[in-house]
Amino acid sequence: MATRGRSGFCRSLPELELLLLAILVLLNGTVLSLEPATSSETHTREGNNTSKKPFPVIGIMYDDVSVPFEISLWVLLASLMKLGFHLIPRLSNVVPESCLLISVGLLVGGILKLARDEVPPVLSDRIFFLCLLPPIILDAGYFLPIRPFVENIGTILMFAVVGTLWNAFFVGGLIYGVCQLAQDKYSEINLGDIGILPCLLFGSIISAVDPVAVLAVFEEIHINELLHILVFGESLLNDAVTVVLYHLFEEFMESGSVSAVDAILGLVSFLIVALGGVLVGAFYGILAAFTSRFTSHTRVIEPLFVFLYSYMAYLSAEVFHLSGIMSLIACGAVMRPYVEANISHKSHTTIKYFLKMWSSVSETLIFIFLGVATVDGEHHWDWIFITATLILCLVARVIGVVGLTFVINNFRIVKLTTKDQFIIAYGGLRGAIAFSLGFLLHTDHKKIFLTAIITVIFFTVFVQGMTIKPLVELLAVKKKHEAKRSINEEIHTRFLDHLLTGIEDICGHYGHHHWKNKLNRFNKKYVKKILIAGDRCKEPQLIAFYHKLEMKHAIRMVESGGGSKLNSSFPSTVSMQNIQPKIQSPPSARPAERALPQLTKGREEEIRQILRTNLQRTRQRLQSYNRHTLVVDPDEEGFDDLILKKRRRMELDWKIKEMTNYLTVPHAQGSPTMSRARMASDSQAYVKPGAKGVPSIQIDLASPQSPDSVRLLDEVGQDQGLTMSLPSSSSRAYKTGGKDDDRDQQKLLRCLSDPGPSADEDEDEPIPT
Amino acid sequence: MGSSRSSLSRVPDGQQLLQETGFSAAHLLRLHQRFQFLDKDSRGSLRSEDLEAALSENPIGVRIVGAFFQPGQETVDFPSFVRVLAHFRPTEKNRTRDGVQPDPADSRNRKLKFAFQLYDRDRDGKISRTELLQVLREMLGLQVTEEQLQSIAERAIQEADLDRDDAICFDEFRKSLEKVNIDHKMSVRFLE
Repeated sequence: MATRGRSGFCRSLPELELLLLAILVLLNGTVLSLEPATSSETHTREGNNTSKKPFPVIGIMYDDVSVPFEISLWVLLASLMKLGFHLIPRLSNVVPESCLLISVGLLVGGILKLARDEVPPVLSDRIFFLCLLPPIILDAGYFLPIRPFVENIGTILMFAVVGTLWNAFFVGGLIYGVCQLAQDKYSEINLGDIGILPCLLFGSIISAVDPVAVLAVFEEIHINELLHILVFGESLLNDAVTVVLYHLFEEFMESGSVSAVDAILGLVSFLIVALGGVLVGAFYGILAAFTSRFTSHTRVIEPLFVFLYSYMAYLSAEVFHLSGIMSLIACGAVMRPYVEANISHKSHTTIKYFLKMWSSVSETLIFIFLGVATVDGEHHWDWIFITATLILCLVARVIGVVGLTFVINNFRIVKLTTKDQFIIAYGGLRGAIAFSLGFLLHTDHKKIFLTAIITVIFFTVFVQGMTIKPLVELLAVKKKHEAKRSINEEIHTRFLDHLLTGIEDICGHYGHHHWKNKLNRFNKKYVKKILIAGDRCKEPQLIAFYHKLEMKHAIRMVESGGGSKLNSSFPSTVSMQNIQPKIQSPPSARPAERALPQLTKGREEEIRQILRTNLQRTRQRLQSYNRHTLVVDPDEEGFDDLILKKRRRMELDWKIKEMTNYLTVPHAQGSPTMSRARMASDSQAYVKPGAKGVPSIQIDLASPQSPDSVRLLDEVGQDQGLTMSLPSSSSRAYKTGGKDDDRDQQKLLRCLSDPGPSADEDEDEPIPT
Repeated sequence: MGSSRSSLSRVPDGQQLLQETGFSAAHLLRLHQRFQFLDKDSRGSLRSEDLEAALSENPIGVRIVGAFFQPGQETVDFPSFVRVLAHFRPTEKNRTRDGVQPDPADSRNRKLKFAFQLYDRDRDGKISRTELLQVLREMLGLQVTEEQLQSIAERAIQEADLDRDDAICFDEFRKSLEKVNIDHKMSVRFLE
């Protein structure tokens, strides 16, 4: 009964949303139409200045907020849509999100057209290129898996440059031929009028694979890494080619004639656009990395630097007509390793989630706007032109991929199979970039071009997008490995890297590994010293990886219900004790790892009661609230000890034993409560901030870095009840390991990870939205 | 082809090596030239100093050099040189070379075995904790503390050791690398 009710509710929820959506849209429409009415009213009011008007209790002043209001409405619409789709699992399994979003856009566009007889020009090129596209590209670039990308860079470049050129000329040239053949002087638009240059321009616009569409579709099919990076990398790098061809043909069209010099200049311009974009991006990336070196005191604004520098890189590239996309990718990829070494882990999480959020919203908005803009705008449907374009695009793509693979396979160690080629060809989706570029056209035949572009986009997104998933299943293409890298893989991979470098040196062969090794050494020797703050510049990657693994493991342990791990092979002490009311050990939790008895609810209550009454004093000693300083999170401090060595743990155990001798508690000292508490709390007892009614202070017994807490405890000593003063001998023991600990502290503080809303993810891979 | 055949006669055991390792005649000649280049004193065999001179600051350089020499031997002659390097030949699926059809699984195994033997210096068939620690120490050098090395080694063994004998045997080694594309990772392109 309950489940049926719930599913019924779930089913009605999307309908509720559609209703809500319709209401919002109508509201939008009506409010916008009300606007002239209200303004006229106020005018008449002011006219009769002499008569005293009553004080307006309620008024409508929509003018001032109209633009932000509408923007917010659109974004809200997009987000609600996204929410709705994931509540209907049946639908979202069959139809990719992009299709649904375009349909919604069509719907909204239709409603708006009916309501107001005109549609707002939402997909104007400025909004698209300046606001909607950068977040997606930055997200892609920042989380670009560098290793597979660089390993396959040759293939990717071939597909991006040669493939796109081939597509452009093939489609452009042949469509011109088709137009000439099909000219009809008596029809409304004579196809024969379209010159060769407009056709080539059209070809260059339609031939580029679109990163947004590829991302949207490929994310849902979880294909293996190689294919994903090939298609995705191609979609990113072909931006340079598209930019150059577009400007080239536009110039030619205006000037009217083409010469050989122009063609050569075009080639040079391509190199400048591509390399210039990368250089601009790299420059800003280095700036960002350098800035992040100094942000240790202002952690709150760290993410802002990342976003700002990247956006500046994009805009600067656009100023000089360089490839903004490549600039953004270069900026993200260059700055990432250094910035991540410098910033706190909270900032890292912030950056990650902000980027994901922005890119997700952007993508949704783009598809919706695509639908809206289809409804708007004049179209001219010409069967011959459009079907010819469609067929030519498909054919060109297939021939291009097959031909290029034939050539490329001679240079690859891991050859591309036929299945791979099919997926690459099939995954060549067109998207909103083509549409926006078409929008910018100034030719006479803009209408027919736009219609064709939209048709191709719809075809690729709907037909190819919907069928690629079943095809992948049918062809049994290798899927992505879901598991994460183990420490073994990491160690052995590095070992093999060194081995291969050595072998290459012995052979005298300056191969892949040789140059990679040289780059790494240069990086370690010079670059890291400049761009990474403090001691982190010396930390080898293996150690950083190992820390990350330990953190993740610790978080998983804590989330699965606490309990300390007494397993001796884990020298890192995972000793967080959640004194929370709801420690239910889920039956699925690994009981073998929990070596201690769980506290029953009553006992926990007792313990919390004790702590609450006796430590409440210390709350007043905390710092005054300041918006700009990050409050020290007890959790964060707590992770400090995760990589402490075994002997330290035993030291602490000893200290606690001594400490409990000082405890004077209303209950009997030998009470089962305290002894169990003593056993259960390994080295520290933490009070999680979320626990009901317990003040959020830390009883930081063991952290060597917080002399404050030690002092706190001393002050508490005068009160009734608990006296907790650390035995002086133990504090001496702390100082010995001082310097080491500081470094460990720093490392740990940076290695933290917020237990975010979603499960653990490998941070190198793009997170499916 | 004719010229290389004749110059192949200068290479000791040329024909036999062609068959055994699957190298082409051109590759073999190039390797022979390289061998002669490394062999500064023209002795016809290499010592460890010759090989080490070629390696530049490789953390596991000593190990790599050691892999060329059979236990107890001080010099390596050309056939042994080529046999070791044959482990790094990219495997091509459809190549038939004088009837030798390379089996992809087999070549993967051979490559892994070679790598395994680099870890397992005492050749007892297992990577013990001390051996792993040595490798880690070589790779990470002075930048990490002893305890960190210990913990990494602990964790690595814990992860990979399925039969709980506190050491990594070859099967466990292979299993922990099953996601890595060994053919790609352990191949050097001799093409120029």
